[in-house]
Amino acid sequence: MFEFLNQDTTIQTIITVGSMTLFFVGFFGLLTQKHFIKIFISIAIMESSIFLFFIGTMFKKSLTAPILGDGYTTFTNMNDPIPHAMILTAIVIGMAVLALGLSFSIEYYKLTGNAEIDKMNELRH
Amino acid sequence: MSSILFIALPLLFGFATPILNKFGKNGVVYGSTIMQMFLLYLAFDLLLNTGSHIEIISIAPPLGISFVLNKASLFFVMLFTFLMTMFSFYYLTHRKTDAYKSETKFFILINMLLASSIGLVLSSDIFNIYVFFEIAGISAYILSAYKKTPSALEAGLKYLLTGSIASVFLVFAIVLIYINIGSLNLAVIAQSFETLPHNIKILISIFLLIGFGFKVEIFPLNFWVVDVYQGSSSLINALFSGIVVKAYLFVFFHILYLFLPSGEFSLFLIYLGAISMLVAEISGLRQTNLKRLFAYSSLGQVALIFTAFAMQNQNAIQGALYIVLAHSIAKFIIFLALTNIKKEYKNFHINRLKELNSPFLRTILLIAMLSLLGLPLFAGFIGKFLVLKSLAVSGVLGALVIIVTASLLEAVYYFKLTGFMFSKSEKKEKLSIGISQKIIFSLLAFLLIFVGILPMIISGFLFDGAGVLLDSTTYINSLIGVQ
Amino acid sequence: MNIKHDLPASTASGFALSAIFVLTILNIILQNIPNVTQSAGNQLLKLNETEGVANAVTTVVVYFRGFDTLGEISVLFIASLGIGLMLHKNSECNLKVQSNFMLKTASKLLFPIIMLFGLYVMIYGHLSPGGGFQGGVIVASGVLLLLISDKSFEVPHSLILILETFAGVSYVLIGLIGLFTLDIFLGNFLPNDISQMGMLLSGGIIPIIYIIVGIKVGSEMSMIVQNLIKRSDNV
Repeated sequence: MFEFLNQDTTIQTIITVGSMTLFFVGFFGLLTQKHFIKIFISIAIMESSIFLFFIGTMFKKSLTAPILGDGYTTFTNMNDPIPHAMILTAIVIGMAVLALGLSFSIEYYKLTGNAEIDKMNELRH
Repeated sequence: MSSILFIALPLLFGFATPILNKFGKNGVVYGSTIMQMFLLYLAFDLLLNTGSHIEIISIAPPLGISFVLNKASLFFVMLFTFLMTMFSFYYLTHRKTDAYKSETKFFILINMLLASSIGLVLSSDIFNIYVFFEIAGISAYILSAYKKTPSALEAGLKYLLTGSIASVFLVFAIVLIYINIGSLNLAVIAQSFETLPHNIKILISIFLLIGFGFKVEIFPLNFWVVDVYQGSSSLINALFSGIVVKAYLFVFFHILYLFLPSGEFSLFLIYLGAISMLVAEISGLRQTNLKRLFAYSSLGQVALIFTAFAMQNQNAIQGALYIVLAHSIAKFIIFLALTNIKKEYKNFHINRLKELNSPFLRTILLIAMLSLLGLPLFAGFIGKFLVLKSLAVSGVLGALVIIVTASLLEAVYYFKLTGFMFSKSEKKEKLSIGISQKIIFSLLAFLLIFVGILPMIISGFLFDGAGVLLDSTTYINSLIGVQ
Repeated sequence: MNIKHDLPASTASGFALSAIFVLTILNIILQNIPNVTQSAGNQLLKLNETEGVANAVTTVVVYFRGFDTLGEISVLFIASLGIGLMLHKNSECNLKVQSNFMLKTASKLLFPIIMLFGLYVMIYGHLSPGGGFQGGVIVASGVLLLLISDKSFEVPHSLILILETFAGVSYVLIGLIGLFTLDIFLGNFLPNDISQMGMLLSGGIIPIIYIIVGIKVGSEMSMIVQNLIKRSDNV
């Protein structure tokens, strides 16, 4: 009776709803938070949610991981390797930019004592 | 001579610099300048001898990444390498009195900016475009915050935050494209994009518009631009407005022409560009800081280029390419000249122009500003004329009225600036410009006048370039047919 | 104009705005759950059989999309450069708690094991799940362990510089050698018979590039971590 839970489309729907909830959390934080660190964390949550969404929806249960081993000798009936490669690159790039942002915030806080985005007034509006 | 050298040589130089640094700073600086001159020669050589071809990386397209060289992309590559060489020469003259701390790191960042801008223009794979987008972005964030003063750090932080949001939306768009179409090559995506269901097509287009819109500086996503220009040093502003934003404009419209060749959203984009220009010029009227004023002017001109590209017909794009050339050179002149003003008068208030006592600099700034205005005999005229004519011919009269109003407002504050420069009162002592700087400024100004008086020399080349950019079927066939 | 001033900053309207946005996206996406049958990945899997590498993800990352990997390590390189520029190490580490000798000794015992595991993941990246990025991050986490357990530990700057430079330059040089011999940048010019699949020396340039990537990522992450720790006084 519960076979529908085992199908690909159900799994993909659940993963889509879950990762979009995470995207909502990140987007909400981006719109309403004022502190630098909280904005960076919101951006990181949004990026992670997109990666989860991508890997989750490109996963087909009947296929296996794209690595030879456990008795497999040819590359058939395997999952798609491109999403994995893309997400590897995107994770590293996202992490590098966020680390840079943290170092900017640390230096800015040391110089001005301010860590909120609406109190930045060095540049005149 | 392969076009990969545009990317490989700056990367090699950048990776090797921390060790070369131990052997002496001057070697790195001069070595970088020589490398950029070689890249300029390579750009001319590729255009004149090899023409249009496809450069394969690792495996053949449509499964792999490739670089597509044609008249449109080579025009931008030549412009970028030329401007960067001029920048390096200018920095060499500027260096004895006002060198940057950790110069070698500065040069690594400059070269990465050049390599990624060229990569954006040449690449034919959407994820590769994202990677170059990030390289250009991260170099620009660090260059913006380079001086480590509070205002520079604030500019860097604002740039980084908006850039990260842009890249989140761009990744989302690429993910949706791969899920629905199954390929990352621009040609394969373009073939199947029209057949997607309507709602997902609109969603992907909106995400691409938001992702690129932050960097292409259209309203309302350009709230960060003026603050970043004010916080960064004037040398870096020249690079931002002359090289970086042009690369993003090219990529955005290249993707638009491939994915939506029938021009579904062009009316919306035309009005978006026109309104951006009007808002930018209105805001620029009451500025008293020179850097902010020229940043608003830059926003206005970029919005005009955006409108011209959005019209998707060959004459308008030819006009846009003329404006790209004129605007990049003119803003380069203006921002490089502003470094002299900063050095001498120590701040950027608009009244410093009244005190400017250097006939050479005043003439050069006058030539640049008249070109930006679009007066005949200067390079800016022919581009603006072609764009306005195309708007009138296509019948988009509302946008025509908005753009003409915005240009009149621009004329108001440029004439005000000219009046300040040539006012007869309150001159301080004479500001002397070194002979090498005079040569650089004269060369750039001469180009503006030369293209203004004889635009027909490059008009055929630009018309062909515009045609190539619009011709999505040839692009798709050349990429999918390669074995 | 600072958009944080002008947007409704109160949490209720932020909640409503983001909820509407995400629900529309969710609706559109759910109507288009993937039905792509023949994506580029399947064609790459078929092509992978000629490369002789057991891990298809490694071939895609290093060879078929090797240019993206080159771009990614340059992003990491520039980020490390920027963090070193911003947070120059001119103050000593100010960890409040002096760690006792048991912690120091235990972490010194653990570090070689973590390092060995990281190197294993790096070197066997083309045969089992893993690779340069994963191995590099494991090595950097070992360095992090030493940094936070021992106040006086410093990553030797010149060693990191030499490793980083060597790795970066050799990646681009391998690409250029491919350009000169095969006329394709990052072409596979070393022997890569399919008979060698599953052996350590298989796949031509692929394991070599992944080890280079691992060295670069490990050294850069160690530098980033050290810069962020050393400068964390009173913040």
